[in-house]
Amino acid sequence: MNPGPQIKFYLFNKEYLPVTDTLIVGWVSVILILILAKYLTSNLKMRPEGKQNVAEMIIELIYDQIEPMLPNEGWRFLPFIATIFIYVGFSNLIGLVPGVTSPTGDLNTTLGLALVVFIVVQLEGMREHGVWGYIKSFAEPVIFLLPINVIGELAKPISHSFRLFGNIVGGGIIMTLIYQAAPALVPVPLHAWFDFFVGMIQALIFGMVAIAYISVAKS
Amino acid sequence: MVEFSPQVAETIIRAAALLGAGFAMIAGIGPGVGQGYAAGKAVESVARDPEARGNIITTMLLGQAVAESTGIYSLVIAIVLIFTI
Repeated sequence: MNPGPQIKFYLFNKEYLPVTDTLIVGWVSVILILILAKYLTSNLKMRPEGKQNVAEMIIELIYDQIEPMLPNEGWRFLPFIATIFIYVGFSNLIGLVPGVTSPTGDLNTTLGLALVVFIVVQLEGMREHGVWGYIKSFAEPVIFLLPINVIGELAKPISHSFRLFGNIVGGGIIMTLIYQAAPALVPVPLHAWFDFFVGMIQALIFGMVAIAYISVAKS
Repeated sequence: MVEFSPQVAETIIRAAALLGAGFAMIAGIGPGVGQGYAAGKAVESVARDPEARGNIITTMLLGQAVAESTGIYSLVIAIVLIFTI
């Protein structure tokens, strides 16, 4: 669980900008991803070797998820989906470091990501059908269904964010309980499960659900 | 009419919240059954058509993620009941 803000700034005796663990670990992971990306993509060659193979493997894995669901638009959506995928995956993995809580174990992070996906979904739907055509598509097949469709659309970012948040927090709570019962040796395989396996699967699912929402809005 | 002192009322509310958290996790049955069903069907499909293994696994994971939502909601409700009341 998140213990709340650790650092607080004061201006005119009023508290503002509380800095939580999530914020610090989130920015550290952003900087680490930036360094890693710079390192992996420096000195690119036509015949890939060494580190370039790793970079191409990651990008192709993500591309292969996008292309079947959004035909012919894989390269257009790759930067957006890959950003989400790599950031969520890296944030989940950083929980492997003892004493560090995953930024994705905080609803603020996941809800922020889900809202970005929500806005992109709406813009893509409007781009495909036109603004009026997209709004009208909520009232189909009968006008009667309009409130249900709107509520269904608004529920998407909520279920999208709570899925990732619940998985990571649930794993974190179980790990805390295990650490209290058996501080040594026993948590190692459980870390591999909760942080590595579940973290990777959840990052993949978070990205894939985003692709699925975009492809639903465009159809 | 029985009057409770504030301490007793608080204890009752706390006990009820913890009981409620336990009851909320009954919803964990649903995703378990649903995900198991999806995995079983995926195994059947892979056995019938081993070529399409990658596609089947991707579709299975997506379906399981959606089936999991209800379980996650109950988990969040249980966490809220335990840690905030």
